[in-house]
Amino acid sequence: MQGDFFQLLKEQGYQLGAPVAASAGIEIPTATTILAFKYRDGVLVAGDRRATAGNMVMYDRTDKVLEIDRHSVMAIAGVPATAYEMVRILEHSFKYYRRTQLQELSFEGKLRAVSKLLKENVAAALSGTGAVAPIFAGYDVEQEAAKIYFYDILGAEFEGVEYAVSGSGSPTIRGILHYLNTWGEQPLNAMPEEQAVIHALRLLTSAAEFDSATGGVNREANLYPVIKLIAAGGVGAVPEATLKSLFETKVVRHV
Amino acid sequence: MYEEPYKWVEAVGNRRQYLDEQFKQGSPVVALAYDAGILLVSVSKGTPKLYEIYDRLALGGMGHPADLEKLRFNLLEMAHVEGFNRSPSDVTGGRMVKYGIAPVIKQAFEEVFKAPFIVKLLLAELGHKAGKDSFLVINYDGTFEEGSSCAVLAASKSVEQGMVAYVRREAPAVPSLEQAFSLALRTWALGDRLQRKAAEESSEGNPAAGTPEDTEAMSLFAHLRDRVAEKTVECALLDRHLSGSSKYRALASDEIGRLLPKDPKITLS
Repeated sequence: MQGDFFQLLKEQGYQLGAPVAASAGIEIPTATTILAFKYRDGVLVAGDRRATAGNMVMYDRTDKVLEIDRHSVMAIAGVPATAYEMVRILEHSFKYYRRTQLQELSFEGKLRAVSKLLKENVAAALSGTGAVAPIFAGYDVEQEAAKIYFYDILGAEFEGVEYAVSGSGSPTIRGILHYLNTWGEQPLNAMPEEQAVIHALRLLTSAAEFDSATGGVNREANLYPVIKLIAAGGVGAVPEATLKSLFETKVVRHV
Repeated sequence: MYEEPYKWVEAVGNRRQYLDEQFKQGSPVVALAYDAGILLVSVSKGTPKLYEIYDRLALGGMGHPADLEKLRFNLLEMAHVEGFNRSPSDVTGGRMVKYGIAPVIKQAFEEVFKAPFIVKLLLAELGHKAGKDSFLVINYDGTFEEGSSCAVLAASKSVEQGMVAYVRREAPAVPSLEQAFSLALRTWALGDRLQRKAAEESSEGNPAAGTPEDTEAMSLFAHLRDRVAEKTVECALLDRHLSGSSKYRALASDEIGRLLPKDPKITLS
């Protein structure tokens, strides 16, 4: 197949996930809350910053919302080692396609690439060492529309028409998103940017409230979630200063 | 028959002659540093001659399109596998050329029973800081040269030298995009004119009369205007200010139109 970077890697002897069974007693870092929803100008993707292994907090500054190219983002939930590797493969695949074929890979082509990587990883996912359930979101420049897709660990692809969630904290906020979108003052896709960011902060704070594996905001450590916005102009991260001021004024409740 | 050393040397000599002949009508390529990065310019008829290779690497080529494609793919494969297995910072122009394609081109050139690559390549690499850019030029025999502020491809060494001397003389210390674009177009026109002159002289069997070359900007633009009909000016940038890891950007035709020198006499049709 022309312009297929993953094929090229495999020809060189590369293997993505080796099916090694996790031995009992070894805790693999996982757990997360990631979410994506469409707002007025495009799509918002957000994730908490915590990586855990069992009861242990491994790291509190993880970036789980990763930019793949100028118009797409992958948010990762699951085993970070595999997830980061997948992101690296995708990033190189899309660039390689563009540079060899002298045109951008279509949005459908990008979705297929994510699905293919997850399928390639099934053995590792089932053996317990490499399960990843990502959200892929982006702006389809051809169709001028924001799009959200989420995947199970076997590579099945589902479209999140309004929103998508993944990770251990996601059951908590799935209900909130449904409520907000159906009976809120306005549906999610009519929200202006600032409103969307405020809701993302509130949703992640709620997830952290009920899920110990999801990291909340830590004001002393200046630690805020990662929130990225993708619109026609490309991907942009919401600056920490904005998150801080919105959190102080719109999220915190002083009792 | 080529097992005798003399015959082999003769065969390689013939090959050189044959290849020189192939580049006579080619369109030169100019690459030079400007205040925000590197600018590459050429004039092409149909097939493009400027390409993106990696985050900070751009390629300009002269010669047979099929050979250029083959080497472009070699470079792309090498750069991406290396960038994935190690890191994007390890994909440097020097490594791609010295350990990658220069040996391939040299081998093809010297295997006299097989066809050589009819191609000359220019690889421009954007440095992380201004003044750290690098330019590599690879000839059809696999020899390569490294430069730091500009590089050109043309039919012969002497034409290339004339073009580089012109850039050195005319370039402002830190040219803006507009200045660099205008200079690159004039340099292209000078190279193209020198090539045509050399081709005419050799066909008439009349060696260079030694007339000094007219390097007036107006005369160069006039030549450019004559030559560019039915062709397209191609321009690509490696722009340090571009967000994201990929710094390559091909200019669209309306952008090129805006950058063209303002003098109404030198608008290109």
